[in-house]
Amino acid sequence: VSRGFFRAFSPLLAFGFYSVYTSRPAFEAESQPESAAMSARVAQLRALLEQRFPDTAPLPERLERPIVATGIGGLDRVLPGGGLSKGKLTVCPPQGGATSIFRAACRGIVGAGRGERAAWVDGAGTVAGTFWDEGPVLIRPKSPRHALRAAEEILRSEGFTLVVLAGTDPQGTETVRLIRAAAEGGTALVALTERAALSSVRLTTRIHPHDYRWRRDPFGEPADVYEAVVRVHARAPGWNAHADFPIPVMQHELRLSLEPGLADRRGVLPRRPERRP
Amino acid sequence: MSFVCLWSPAWRIGAGSSPAAPNAVPDLTTLAAVLLGAAPRVVAERRTNDEPGRGAGRTLADDAASALLWADAHGLDAIRLATTLLDLLRDHGIADARAGIASAPIAAELAAASGEWRRASETENPSLAIHHAPFVTRVLADRAFLASAPIAALDPFSPDPRLRTLLFGIGVTTCGELAALDRESVEVRLGGGAVPLWRLARADDRRVLFAPMPRELPHASFDCIDYTLSSSEQLLFIINRLARRVTEALTAGGEGARELALAFALEDGTTHREVIRSSRPTANRSTWTRLIRTRLERLTLHEPVTGVAVQVVAAAMKESRQGDLFDRGFATAQATDDALARLVDDQGAVVVVPTPSAHPLLDRRDAPAPHTDASDGVQPVDIKRGIRPLRTRKRRELAGVAAVPTAAPRPALTLQLIEPRVIDVRTVARRDHHVPVRYGDDGRWHEVVDVAGPDRISGGHWDAAYAREYFRCVTGAGLLVWIFRDARTEQWYLHGWWD
Repeated sequence: VSRGFFRAFSPLLAFGFYSVYTSRPAFEAESQPESAAMSARVAQLRALLEQRFPDTAPLPERLERPIVATGIGGLDRVLPGGGLSKGKLTVCPPQGGATSIFRAACRGIVGAGRGERAAWVDGAGTVAGTFWDEGPVLIRPKSPRHALRAAEEILRSEGFTLVVLAGTDPQGTETVRLIRAAAEGGTALVALTERAALSSVRLTTRIHPHDYRWRRDPFGEPADVYEAVVRVHARAPGWNAHADFPIPVMQHELRLSLEPGLADRRGVLPRRPERRP
Repeated sequence: MSFVCLWSPAWRIGAGSSPAAPNAVPDLTTLAAVLLGAAPRVVAERRTNDEPGRGAGRTLADDAASALLWADAHGLDAIRLATTLLDLLRDHGIADARAGIASAPIAAELAAASGEWRRASETENPSLAIHHAPFVTRVLADRAFLASAPIAALDPFSPDPRLRTLLFGIGVTTCGELAALDRESVEVRLGGGAVPLWRLARADDRRVLFAPMPRELPHASFDCIDYTLSSSEQLLFIINRLARRVTEALTAGGEGARELALAFALEDGTTHREVIRSSRPTANRSTWTRLIRTRLERLTLHEPVTGVAVQVVAAAMKESRQGDLFDRGFATAQATDDALARLVDDQGAVVVVPTPSAHPLLDRRDAPAPHTDASDGVQPVDIKRGIRPLRTRKRRELAGVAAVPTAAPRPALTLQLIEPRVIDVRTVARRDHHVPVRYGDDGRWHEVVDVAGPDRISGGHWDAAYAREYFRCVTGAGLLVWIFRDARTEQWYLHGWWD
């Protein structure tokens, strides 16, 4: 019912917003007392509409809401308002460096010294401990369903500035619950998912196959990738921006010993027992 | 603390035994049970020649007691209690029992079972003890009372029979003379084994006759007289009310419960008990209500309930975190802690801190440790050094990852590990090996644009042996994937990707 309602009345709602936000000059032309009364009514109507349909407010109005800067220059430049909106959902598909960007954002928020916390809900269990950076709280639920419950719990706690939900795809009602929890807790919520419905900002990140920088071996073949250029594209109602920036590629050393703590004795001949005459 | 010691000459074993009933030490356990009707706590003590505290092959001194009954007179009228206990013993045929009352057990024991020396000392100084009844002696000053006791009175506590001879050799014949020495000289002259005896001579008796009384933890109960409870709604309503009373009692005491027990009295006379644990001590009613509700959802009782009791099993003082002027996240630390505790209560140890090991295989390096402190989520600021140095560097060094500056949040593509997934791979020959050119996963084929490798790794023992050739491949969609060929089974796997 609600979907049909929005389909049917969304033009009307849009027109209503347009009227509310553009009719100020006409009211100012009226007589002073009547104008003041109408301005109060318009303000009340605006507040009511913002409360009921917060995402349909024009961009300048939305930009007045609290924004949390990630500390990543390239990302903050493309985000509306220069950061992630608190109490809102930002969606980004988990590809093309999205994980690394938001993990750095978590690290930046925690490390900024503002007393803010960030949490990473790893629904798919893909976080490798070797590459995990200290700072954000890492939550590894047992299943994607548990990940949604965990995200909702910590969103409502009001103790976290940024919560990143990875490895799970919230459906319609689940997304609504998460957004409501984020709004109640004043937390910026980022979901690394393909489902962009109900999000306030949609981010896409992409790395072109030829944007990887390689070190070559003596034969001229790729030996080690050390950098990649990421293109970040942010879209929101009234907002479209993108940026390209290079990011390093983390590698780990493959250990060649047989087991940790054991000496590598490959190639050493076994000692033969001495023969006694 | 006040002790009442009961002793009868008939209980003596050995040299001073009663001729009528030699070695006839009565069943002290039965007597103790009888005395429990008058005293809150009674302990029976029986000494034999094999007891470690007594030297083997030694004869008992005349004044030594071989069986004793102890009563705890803490907070009670000790004189009246002793008289009552003697009356009870008299009713059970022990007419010559004596009682000694003192603050130290050794003084009470000697007051009850002492001999000629006591009568002599009381004649010299009558203010040391008071005789309230023919067989009740109350010691007023423990150490002064013991001062005139001969060293032989401490024989039951002497670990070495030669000590008495040594003490006699240095001219110490009474407890007062031993107590007058300092500890160092006792240790030097007589050895460390004489120190306990020296303590007893000073009325410093460290025996624990009665364990500390466990305090009563908050509890609440409800009993149905005329009806039974069979619906979960009724049960939940009552338990909520009981939990509220319990949590209020906890809050008033500044405590939090770590374990709560639900006891259901069933119609068939049995009791079903459920113990619910919280991840941290809390007196939060909503937390316990949620935990109880979760437990009740999974609980099936085979009989109607006639009574419910909610009892705190384990309680601890509430933790109050020390405030930090420079911690700007302190205001929300409690809320964060509570949220994470709820999460742990609901889902187990899901809040983790990865602590990678040095295992050669990346997928076996992870050993996540439970997250214990929510304040770790806040980066505290040190006014001298700036941001706290991250332990990540050390971890990276351990794991063989090149260190990166952590001051600025610079993103870096990191490996996202998955459980190795079987894939189809087409390869082409490149010098001495084959490299992938495309792979099939989830029913789709992915072209490989660039490939680096192989990185060969092998090790393990027996059935845990491994031999892998890892490749880093860039697909046509721009994804950098990590695939490997298991050299033992000739099977290809997708192990992760960089994102």
